[in-house]
Amino acid sequence: MASQYDRAITVFSPDGHLFQVEYAQEAVKKGSTVVGIRGTDIVVLGVEKKSVAKLQDERIVRKICALDDHVCMAFAGLTADARVVISRARVECQSHKLTVEDPVTVEYITRFIATLKQKYTQSNGRRPFGISALIVGFDNDGISRLYQTDPSGTYHAWKANAIGRSAKTVREFLEKNYTEDAIANDSEAIKLAIRALLEVVQSGGKNIELAIIRRKQPLKMFSAKEIELQVNETGKKKEEAKKKKSKKTA
Amino acid sequence: MAATFFGEVVRAPCRAGTEDEEEEEEEGRRETPEDGEVRQQLARKREVRFLRRQTKTTLEVSLLEKYPCSKFIIAIGNNAVAFLSSFIMNSGVWEEVGCAKLWNEWCRTVDTTHLSPTEAFCVFYHLKSNPSVVLCQCSCYVAEDQQYQWLEKVFGSCPRKNMQVTILTCRHVTDYKTSESTSSLHTPFLKALKTQNFREPPCCSLLEQPNIVHDLPAAVLSYCQVWKISAILYLCYTDVMKLDLITVEAFKPVLSSRSLKSLVKNIPQSTEILKKLMTTNEIQSNIYT
Repeated sequence: MASQYDRAITVFSPDGHLFQVEYAQEAVKKGSTVVGIRGTDIVVLGVEKKSVAKLQDERIVRKICALDDHVCMAFAGLTADARVVISRARVECQSHKLTVEDPVTVEYITRFIATLKQKYTQSNGRRPFGISALIVGFDNDGISRLYQTDPSGTYHAWKANAIGRSAKTVREFLEKNYTEDAIANDSEAIKLAIRALLEVVQSGGKNIELAIIRRKQPLKMFSAKEIELQVNETGKKKEEAKKKKSKKTA
Repeated sequence: MAATFFGEVVRAPCRAGTEDEEEEEEEGRRETPEDGEVRQQLARKREVRFLRRQTKTTLEVSLLEKYPCSKFIIAIGNNAVAFLSSFIMNSGVWEEVGCAKLWNEWCRTVDTTHLSPTEAFCVFYHLKSNPSVVLCQCSCYVAEDQQYQWLEKVFGSCPRKNMQVTILTCRHVTDYKTSESTSSLHTPFLKALKTQNFREPPCCSLLEQPNIVHDLPAAVLSYCQVWKISAILYLCYTDVMKLDLITVEAFKPVLSSRSLKSLVKNIPQSTEILKKLMTTNEIQSNIYT
């Protein structure tokens, strides 16, 4: 049945599916994992770094991109589609600032990206964007925000979420471990993001990229050393927790 | 003859048939010498040949007649091949006993002396310390018209019944038919299908109807069923068809089966070998990030 209704984007199947949109969601699962955490005073984006060829320049392959000084996004899915969406979003951020003399709110730019994606699910001859994005930042009111968009053009606010490969596993981890204590302060929120990623990232700290935004501060990308430090601290804490547990049972 | 509504006269098919019609059909069916030659050339090109690369000689008898075995493990597809390479082949010294050379639209093998598990090829090994264990790594596609040739050249016309065959292969999860919602499926997952003579409990749940097995794994299993050989197929449904660590690791439950248990020596080392294989053979695709 699917084969009759999955060729054209503008055709619904008898049971109400838009197969091209659903297939675009499968393309998102081929991208490496991204996790986003919304803390009280911090927002964290962690990604699994894609391994590059020996002769390839690693610096160009970036999953976390700033859209404006106070908003950034990470994506999973088709690289080229992400480049187009990010470029359009950046232009919109500046255009909004020039027109309204105010920076965009995180919700505004998320809605812009989602609307753009939805247009491509309803146009003849085009295909949907094969990316999902996690958009984080702080609004003027000082409240932290985390939104997720997907190829269908829907967007939702989240406290913590994951997209890409093994997103289900990471989301289940977050559901168990996202507590008020876990995001009590900035370093706890960062550790939670790292722990969530380490559930699915095979080779540990060297394959993780991390970025944070604090209130009234620009995007900060962690260096490899800083990430290694955080991973080691997280590892130590895990061991301490294990020892405590074994003492209790003994 | 018949006339249509629009006045055109058309030739109506006649079930009784006339002599004229039969002659015309025969002429159409009769093969020209060129057609015959082309057909023969194609048949020669598509022949499945088994040879020993070390001696560069063709195997005169079927492989299992020359190397009789009690355990025959076949990996079909790059993920299954990577699983055997990492978890089974590091357990001892394996000697190559033959390889299959074949040509079809999907698999154009050429002579090569160096093989890596991701190259399209079909190689047979036996364990030096226990030659009754034979292993096959098949990462090339064997077309429908070549499957019977492959089976005959491996098993022979009268195969031994006292051997156990284990087949490992992968299939895309979109081929899996189920009444459950696809979002509730935790891919990759294993399913098993066995012949009547296979008595052991399988390492995972059996493949439910109406799902079917395709290609070479199906041909091998059917062959074993017909010849009353004990055989089991472990089919991994995955959403990643290229070489993938998670898909390869999904085969791990098979290591507890009787035929493979004795062949597994060092699992941590196997995991390291697998990781190296992944990084060495990773397709450097930049389409997805």
